[in-house]
Amino acid sequence: MVLLFVCFCLFVCFSLLVLLELSLMLALLTKATQFFSSGHTNNWAVLVCTSRFWFNYRHVANVLSVYRSVKRLGIPDSHIVLMLADDMACNHRNPKPATVFSHKNMELNVYGDDVEVDYRGYEVTVENFLRVLTGRLPPSTPRSKRLLSDDRSNILIYLTGHGGNGFLKFQDSEEISNVELADAFEQMWQKRRYNELLFIIDTCQGASMYERFYSPNIMALASSQVGEDSLSHQPDLAIGVHLMDRYTFYLLEFLEDIHPASQANMNDLFKVCPKSQCVSTPGHRTDLFLRDPGSVLITDFFGSVRKVEITREAINLTNPTELSLRNELKSEALFYVDQLPVADIIHQKPKQKDWHPPDGFILGLWSLILLVFFKTYGIKHLKHIF
Amino acid sequence: MAAPLTLVLILSVTIRAVLFRSSLAELISERVEVVSPLNAWKRVVEGLALLDLGVSPYSGDVFHETPLVIYLFHFVVDYAEIVFMVSTFEFSGKYNLFIKQKYALEADRYPHDCLELMRSPKEMHYIPLKVAMFYLLNPFTILSCVAKSTCGLNNAVMALFILSTLKGSALLSAIFLALATYQSIYPLTLFAPGLLFLLQRLYIPVNPCRSRFWFFTVQYSVMFIGSLLVIVCLSFFLLGSWDFIPSVYGFILSVPDLTPNIGLFWYFFAEMFEHFRFFFICVFQINVFFYTIPLSVKLKEHPVFLIFMQIAIISIFKSYPTVGDIALYMAFLPVWSHLYRFLRNIFLVSCVLLACTALFPVLWHLWIYAGSANSNFYYAITLLFNVGQILLVSDYFYAYLRREHHLSQGLYLRRKDGSEATLVLK
Repeated sequence: MVLLFVCFCLFVCFSLLVLLELSLMLALLTKATQFFSSGHTNNWAVLVCTSRFWFNYRHVANVLSVYRSVKRLGIPDSHIVLMLADDMACNHRNPKPATVFSHKNMELNVYGDDVEVDYRGYEVTVENFLRVLTGRLPPSTPRSKRLLSDDRSNILIYLTGHGGNGFLKFQDSEEISNVELADAFEQMWQKRRYNELLFIIDTCQGASMYERFYSPNIMALASSQVGEDSLSHQPDLAIGVHLMDRYTFYLLEFLEDIHPASQANMNDLFKVCPKSQCVSTPGHRTDLFLRDPGSVLITDFFGSVRKVEITREAINLTNPTELSLRNELKSEALFYVDQLPVADIIHQKPKQKDWHPPDGFILGLWSLILLVFFKTYGIKHLKHIF
Repeated sequence: MAAPLTLVLILSVTIRAVLFRSSLAELISERVEVVSPLNAWKRVVEGLALLDLGVSPYSGDVFHETPLVIYLFHFVVDYAEIVFMVSTFEFSGKYNLFIKQKYALEADRYPHDCLELMRSPKEMHYIPLKVAMFYLLNPFTILSCVAKSTCGLNNAVMALFILSTLKGSALLSAIFLALATYQSIYPLTLFAPGLLFLLQRLYIPVNPCRSRFWFFTVQYSVMFIGSLLVIVCLSFFLLGSWDFIPSVYGFILSVPDLTPNIGLFWYFFAEMFEHFRFFFICVFQINVFFYTIPLSVKLKEHPVFLIFMQIAIISIFKSYPTVGDIALYMAFLPVWSHLYRFLRNIFLVSCVLLACTALFPVLWHLWIYAGSANSNFYYAITLLFNVGQILLVSDYFYAYLRREHHLSQGLYLRRKDGSEATLVLK
C-alpha cells in the first residue's frame, strides 16, 4: 500500500518535473523564436527638447531623463540624436551648475557625466528636425547629427516642449504641425528608414500630434488629450523652477525598473501615469501598428538589440525551413509601397513648342511698314528695290 | 567727318564688347540705377520663357514690355547684345543728319554785335561728332547697353522721331511719336514740340484764328492718334488679348512696384497711406505732363530746344527712370554748346552729378548689404541727383532765353547816348 502511494507520489513528481521542464523549454523556445523573429536589428532614438529659456528647465530634464534611460538600456550615443534647445546645466541661473535634476530631493542628476548633445541651442529648428528624420541633410553633416537608420531599425522619437492643438512650438519662434510630422514619417516609411516607430510626446494637447499619422508601424503615446494641458510635477524652491513634467516623471520611474532583459511590454507603458497621478489623461494610438502591443517589449524601443545572450541551457531549435515559413506568414502583413514604375522615372518631358507670333500679326505689321515706307519715299523708288 | 565718327564707333563697339564678355555684365544688369522693372532684360527673358511655356507673359507682375518688343526679341533673343548696339548706333547716326538742318532757320536777322553769339559753320561742323561721342561714350549709355535694358530701344525710337520731325515728314514723325508713346506713355508730351516744329517748317504761324493752323494740327493729331490705335490693335493681335494694357500702361501710371531707382516715386509711395495713394499718383504723374503747356507757350519759336527740355523733364519725372533716359538728353548737350558763356551753374551741377553717380552704388551697398544705412540715405542721393539734373536743365533754359534776349536786344547794353549801361534787377 505504502509502496503504491510512494510510486504514485514519485509518478506525480516525475510528471510535474517533466511538465516543468517542458514548460521551461517551451518558454525558452518561444523566447528563442521570438529572439529570431523580432523584426528589427538596430535601435535608434531621436530625443528633442524644443523650448529654451530657464523657466523651461523641465523640458530639458524630461529629455535628459529619457536619454538616460535609453542609454542605460543599451542604445549607444552613436545611435541617439539628442536635440536640446537650451543648456540648463550651464545656465547662469542654475544654482547647482552642471546638474539637471529630476526630483527636488536631488536623487537623480539626469545630466550625468557623459551627455552627448547633437543639436544644441539654435540648431534645434523645425527644419533640422525634419531633415534629421527624413535624412535630407547636406553632405557636410557629421555622422553624429544624422539618423542613419535603415529598414530594420526601431526608432524611438520623444518630443517635449510647449504645444497646442495640432502643433508643437520650436524655440518660441516657429512651430511644427501634426500634418508635417505625419508627412515626415510617411517619407521615412517610403524611404525605408524604419521598421517600427514609437512616438512619445509630452506637451499640452499632445494627442493632437499623433492624430494625423498614416504610415504603418507607428505606435504613439501622448501625455494629454486634445483640450487638456500637461502639467509639471513639482518645483524645487532652491532651483526655482519646475523640474519635470508629470508624465515623464512617472515614465522615468517606470523605466528605472526596466533592465535590458526585462519582458515588460507596451501595455504596461500605456498604464504609466493614470489620471490620478497625471491630472491629464495620457493617450495612445496603436491602430497603425501591426503587432499586438502586448507582444511588443519595452526594450524593443528603449533598449538595443543584443545579438548575444549567454545561456547554459540547451535549446532545441525547430527545422529552419519551418521557421522561415512561419516568418513569411507573419511578414505577409507588412508590405512596401510600390516603387515608381520605370516609365515614370525615365519618362522624358515632351519638347516644348516654341511660341510663334500669329501670321496675321506678321502680315499686318510688315504691310504697314511697307506702306509707310512707300508713302514716305514714293512709289517711284520701287524700281530701285526690284 | 566720317573718319572720326568711324573711330568713335569702333571705340564704343570695343568698350561694349569687352564689357559684355566680362563678368561685370551680370553685375551691371542687376543694378537698380541701370535697369528698372519696365526695361530690365531679365524680365524680357522671363516673359519670353513664359510665352514658350504657353502662359501669357503678362500674367503675374513680371513682364512690362509692349507686345512689339516681344515680337522683336522673339527672334533675336540670342543676339540681344547686337540689337542693342545697333540701336545705339542708329541713334547717334541721327544727329549727323539733323544738325545740319537745325540752323537753317537761323537766318541773319540779328544785330551785328551778336555775331559772336552766332555759330560759325566751322563750329557746327563738329557738333554731330560731339553728339555721337557724347552718346556713344557716355558711361551711362554704356552701362545701359551692357545691361541690355530696353531703354536703348526707347531712346532709338525717340531719336527716330526727332530725325523725322527735323526732316519735315509729318507722317513719319507722327508714326514714330506714336511708337514712342506706345512704348512708354511719356513721349506724348513731345507731341507739342513736334507739332510746333512742323508748323514752323511749313511757315504756318501759330495763331488760333488761322484756319491753316487748325487744319495742320488736326491732320497731325489724326495721324498720330490713328497710328497709335493701329499699333495698339496690332499688339492685340499678337497675343490675342488686351492683357498688355494694364500690364504696361497701368504699371507705368499706377506705379505698383516700389523697387528703389533713381527716380522720385519709390520712396514717397513706400511710406504713403493707401488712402492718399491715388491722389499722389495723380499729382506725380501730372507733374510730368504739366510743364508742356507753359514751356510750349514760351518756346513756341524754338521747338528744338523745347524737345530737349521735354525729354529732360520726362527723364527726371517719369515713374521708373534709369540712367539710359538721362543719357538721352545729355547727348543733346553739345548742340547747345554755344550757350556755354551764359551758363551759371556748371561747376555746381557737374560736381553734384558726378558725386551722386559715385555715391549711388556706395549707399546702395551700405543700405542693402552692410545694413548700416537705410533707405533715407539712398533717397537723399536720388533727390540730390534729380535736383542736379533740374538745375542743369533750368540753367540751359536760362542760358537759351538769355541768348535770345541778347539776340534781339543786343549783347552789350547801350544807353540812348551810346555809353555802356548795366541791367540791374531790383
